[in-house]
Formats: sequence, structure tokens, C-alpha cells
Amino acid sequence: MSSHDVTGTTLVNHWQRGVPVYREPVLTPTMLFFAALAALGLILALVRFFSPLGQFSGMNDAYAWGIWKTFNVMTLTALGSGPLAIGMAAWVFNRQKLHVVMRTALVSGFLFYATGLVALGFDVGRAWNFYNILFPWRWNAESAMLEISFCMPVYCFLFLAFENLPLVLERFYYTGSDATKAFLKRWAPALRRIYPFMLTGAYVLPLMHQSSLGGLLLLAGDKIHPLWQTPFLPLLYLLAAGFCGLGFLTFLLLITCLHYSRPLDAGIMGELGNLLSYVCFLFLAVRFGDLVWRAQLGTAFAFDRMSLLFLFETALILIPAVALRRTAVRETPRTLLNMAALACLGGLFFRFIPTTIAFSPAHNARYFPSVPELIMAIGYISLGILAFGLAVKYFAVLPGEIKDWNYMFRKVRQRRPEAVRI
Amino acid sequence: MAASMNRRQALKGMVGIAGTAVGAMTARAEEHPAHPVAAPDAVAMLYDNTICTGCKACMPACNEANGLPPDTVLSGGLWDMPADLNSKTKNIIKLYNEPDASAFAFVKRQCMHCLDPACVSGCPFGALKKSDWGAVTWNSSLCIGCRYCEVGCPFDVPKFEWNNWNPKVVKCEFCYDRLKKDEQPACTAVCPTGAVIFGKRTDLLEQAKERIASSPGKYFESRVYGEHEAGGTQVLYLSKVAFDKIGLPKLGSTSIGHYATKVTSVIYKWLSGPIVAAFFLGGLIKRNWNRHEAERLKREKETGLPDQL
Repeated sequence: MSSHDVTGTTLVNHWQRGVPVYREPVLTPTMLFFAALAALGLILALVRFFSPLGQFSGMNDAYAWGIWKTFNVMTLTALGSGPLAIGMAAWVFNRQKLHVVMRTALVSGFLFYATGLVALGFDVGRAWNFYNILFPWRWNAESAMLEISFCMPVYCFLFLAFENLPLVLERFYYTGSDATKAFLKRWAPALRRIYPFMLTGAYVLPLMHQSSLGGLLLLAGDKIHPLWQTPFLPLLYLLAAGFCGLGFLTFLLLITCLHYSRPLDAGIMGELGNLLSYVCFLFLAVRFGDLVWRAQLGTAFAFDRMSLLFLFETALILIPAVALRRTAVRETPRTLLNMAALACLGGLFFRFIPTTIAFSPAHNARYFPSVPELIMAIGYISLGILAFGLAVKYFAVLPGEIKDWNYMFRKVRQRRPEAVRI
Repeated sequence: MAASMNRRQALKGMVGIAGTAVGAMTARAEEHPAHPVAAPDAVAMLYDNTICTGCKACMPACNEANGLPPDTVLSGGLWDMPADLNSKTKNIIKLYNEPDASAFAFVKRQCMHCLDPACVSGCPFGALKKSDWGAVTWNSSLCIGCRYCEVGCPFDVPKFEWNNWNPKVVKCEFCYDRLKKDEQPACTAVCPTGAVIFGKRTDLLEQAKERIASSPGKYFESRVYGEHEAGGTQVLYLSKVAFDKIGLPKLGSTSIGHYATKVTSVIYKWLSGPIVAAFFLGGLIKRNWNRHEAERLKREKETGLPDQL
């Protein structure tokens, strides 16, 4: 069962299980470059923790939120919503064939959230008061900010971490001593018993906080341009997380599989493209339905600065939505990559614009991130890229074929020196 | 027996904690009416820029009452000369000049003490809260410095100490400490002309309307700014020039807290939305999980490899 695309690359339907990337150096110059950026960002972040915010950012009283919040958290966690989007498709809507790409989504999603939370931790001015989260009677439950600051860490470090646990334990199982093996074998059934319950939490929580990220902006009211300020912002932010999660996983699978010369699976990539197109259409339907309901279609097609920005953003989402309806586009890696990237970009635009570009406080203040602010933001992203690069080499993250499985973890290879890959 | 008792007690404890959490989640989730009504004891300030002479006596009085340092950036280190409300200035008198110099007007800016403040709705741990007499106060031990108040405030009032390692949110707190001592705020106490006066909101609103009625055409739009803006505020303005010219934004009469929470307050009422979602998704997940498990055993036998989660 294989199909050929126009450029001649063979797409085989052979993704069967997660297989680590091996026979590759762990620390390549690229990885070292990202490590250096991450180190620079984190060192700056530590210095920032003991210094005033003003010296490290271009933020001011009118633009009180800079890119750490608006980009690293509010925008990039949309790309990190793969575990929600793919997980819902696989476990709730029973798209069985997507299980094999779940691990790629889980690892990348965890890293987007974790680095976003690091960014948030160094962004708040009085982080030491965060202990108040331990006392429910001090919560202001109607605050979207409270919902996010409670829900996001719990989701990331409890539910997502739990979902990522099997792939870590698997490595211990294959590389560990006999005692470790016996221990893991004994506890595996218990893990499987609670797994479906943890899955439920792992979908309810992001449904809550991904919509609350949009809910945050409701309070800004008239400061946000009417093309973006709408009571539907929470739903739109959630749908954007949906198609960004799908789009980014498609993008990530394509570039990592190309980079590590892995064969692709036409059936699964096609399915991802198919779902991506549907969620994009759903998003656009709500987006335009809302504009019609609020009688803002005229604003949308006024062809002024904000209208053009809106039309550009919409085009970025509409083009992949339409193009991916065609099987040929879905099953050609190059076009699929382009369309997934466009959709992600459109989602990022939608998430980012109302926080900054379409945000106009009463004062004539300006905001542009300062150099240390940018270095820290890039540092957090580099940390995620570095960790992903390491994860695919140490753990069975990327989807592959069963025939490659026997050569996987290092210790297994050492025991079988005769097993040379053809 | 003892073990089962312990387990029951533990369970009771867990239910108790969960109950407290749910209770706390909902107890504070008060209704946000679109047009809030001021409490009977709500205090207010009335500022009338047809009376204000721009003497700025209220500014040092405010600094003194609140222990604020002078802002000497513009004056070259000589005297207090803020350009606008900032982290050293909770109260300011500004001058508006018509471009053709045909008219001018002063304006006094400070926190508006909204009836349903956006900053209070957004503050995650209730560091900003609507205290007695409606004063909006800030509690340093609950604030995490997220600056959501600055994003939410339609009047751009809360200011953040960007140059302090231990930053505070600086805003007019209606001289809450003085109110508690039965004194009026420093700015109204010191005002020599009566341009800004202190009183109960109902009384001041009535007085403002009397002033409008007694001199028709004197005041812009013959109305009181703050009676309905953003659901109503506890600082009221009478102006001879357009309100937006003196920096008071055009706002609807709906409270921002109402706009921001009208949908979520229904979904999150008693956490019903998330609970319903959890049962619905959980049911489907469990069904698909069981199917997956049945297939898993078959697949494991075929491939000889354990299934991956």
C-alpha cells in the first residue's frame, strides 16, 4: 500500500510505533547553537528575577503586557495544543490511526507549555506571592487570569507530564536493570487503569484555559479593535488552538521526518491535513458568523490598515482550508508542509494581533520589545527546540516502522552487536 | 475496621477540601449586572472644571497623604512635575488647550473608583478589591504583579513600578486610611475653590444635576460624566469642554466586568460546564479506551512488542 506524489517521494503507510532517532550524533552544531541561545535567555531571566522589569523589557503602563505573555504564552501555546487536538481526535472521536503520532504531539505540547510557563514566571513582577494559589479562598474565581494561572501549570506538570510518562518509563524498561524491569512490569497495569481518567482531565483543562486566554482580552474592552474584540473570543481562541495544534504537528512531523530521513505515512498525514482543513473551516465560520452578528462586515472590508491585516490573517487560514480539501495536496509532502505552515501562521496572527497590534490604549505610548526581552523570548523557544531535539534521540517519540524497533535503545544495541542495519 | 474508618475519614477530608475549593470558586463569583447600582453608603468625588483654577494644591496633598516621592524628571530634579499619572503620582491636574487657543480646561485625573471595576474583576487573587464605601484598594500581599489591571482599566489608571525590584501597583485608593478615620480624601480636603468636593455619591450626583439645571448650556452635553460610564463610577465630572478632549474616554454604559463574565459565569457556575464536559468526554474516552485495549492484546500477540501509550 504505497502512493507516489508528483516529486517522486515514496509515501508508505508504515508508521506503526514510536521509534527513537539513532545513529545520529546527539549534540550537533545546530543543537549547540540552540543550547547557547537557551543558556543566554535563562541567564538573563535569572538576572531579571533580581532586578526591576523596566530594565529588561520595552513594556510600559499603556502596553503592560509584552511578548513574554502575548507571544510565548498566549500565542505559542496554540501551537502546543497538539495533545488536545490530536488526543480529542484519537481518543474521543476514535480516529485510531492517529495514536501513532500522539507522542510527537505530547512532547512538543509539553515543551511549548513548559517554556511558556517559564516565560510567565519571569514576567510577573511579584512572583513570590504566587503561593496564594494554594489557598482556594483567596481565589478570584471570575478572573480569567486566575483560571489560567491555576489551570495551565496543573495541566502541564500533572496531566501532560503523566501522558508523557509512558515514553520515559519505556526507556527505563529497555535500558534498565532486571529489578527496574520487574518494577515497571508490576506497575504498568496500574498506570493503564488510571490512564483514561487522566486523559479526561487532559482534555477538559485545556478546553478551559485555551478559551480563557481569549477570555483575558474581553476585559480590555474597547482598547481592542472591533474586528478582534468579540464575546466569541474564548471560542475563537479555542478553535485557533485546535487548528494550530493540528497544523503544527503536521509541520513538525514533516520537517523532522525529512531531517532524519524517515519515510512518511500518507494515510496519517492525509488524515491530519483533512482534520486541519475542517477545523480551519469551523474557525472561519464562527469568525464570519460573529462579524455578521455584530454588523462588523463593513469594518472587515473597509480596506484600511486593520481591515487589510484582518484579510491577510483570514487568507492565511482560508487558503489551507480550501487547498487541503484536495487529496493530491494532502498527500504531497511539499504542499502539505506549506499549507500546514500557512494555517499555523494564520492562527498565530489571530492570537497575537489583538494583544498588541490591534490593541490601542488611550495614551500615545508605543511598545516594541527591547533587546534583552527578545533574547529571553528567543531563549525560551530555543530551550524547547533543544529539548525536543534531545527527546527524539533518547525516547521513542517520532513515528516509525516496527522493523527499526529492534535496533533502538543504546543498551539493546550493545547486547546485539551482530544486528547491523541494512 | 480501623483501616476502613481511616479511609472513610480520608475520603471525607478529600471531599471537604474539594468542597472548599468549589465553594471558593463560586462564592466570589458574584453577579455582574450590566448596570450596577451604587451601595447606599458609596462615597464619591465631584470635580467641576469650570471652578478649578489649576492651583494644583491637591497634588502635594495627595503625595503627602500617600507618602509618594516627588516626580522631578521634567523639572530637572527641582520640584514635583509629573507628565501624567505614573508610579509616583496618584493624582494630577492637567491642562487642555483648544488648538486655536479659544478655550482651555483643567482636568483632575485619579482612579475613577468604578461601581464594577474591570481591575477587580480581573485581579487573580483579589489584591485589588472594592472596599468599604466603594474605594478600590490594593493589597500588596496578594498581588503577583501580572498587570492585568493595567490591561483591563478603561481609564488607564493603575500604574506599575517598572523600576522597582519589589514593584507595587500605584493608584488612588480614595485615601482609604483617611476614610477609615472619618476624614475626607486629601485632595478634596485641601481644594481651596471647591472644584473637587467629597460626599455621598447620591448627594453629589444630585448636586451636579442641580448645577447643570441652574446654568443651561454651561456644561458639555448637560450631563455628568461617571453617572453611567462603564457601569458608573464614584468620581463624577462636570466639564465645559468635551470629555474626550480632557482625556475621559467615550465608554458605553455597560459594566466591563459584565461584558467579560456574562458567558463564562454561566459556564463556570458551580463548575458545571467543566464537570459536564468531563463526564461527556470521559464516557467517550472510556468506550474508545476499551476498544483500544481489546485490539492492543491482539496487536501485541502479532508483533511481539508491547503497546505504546
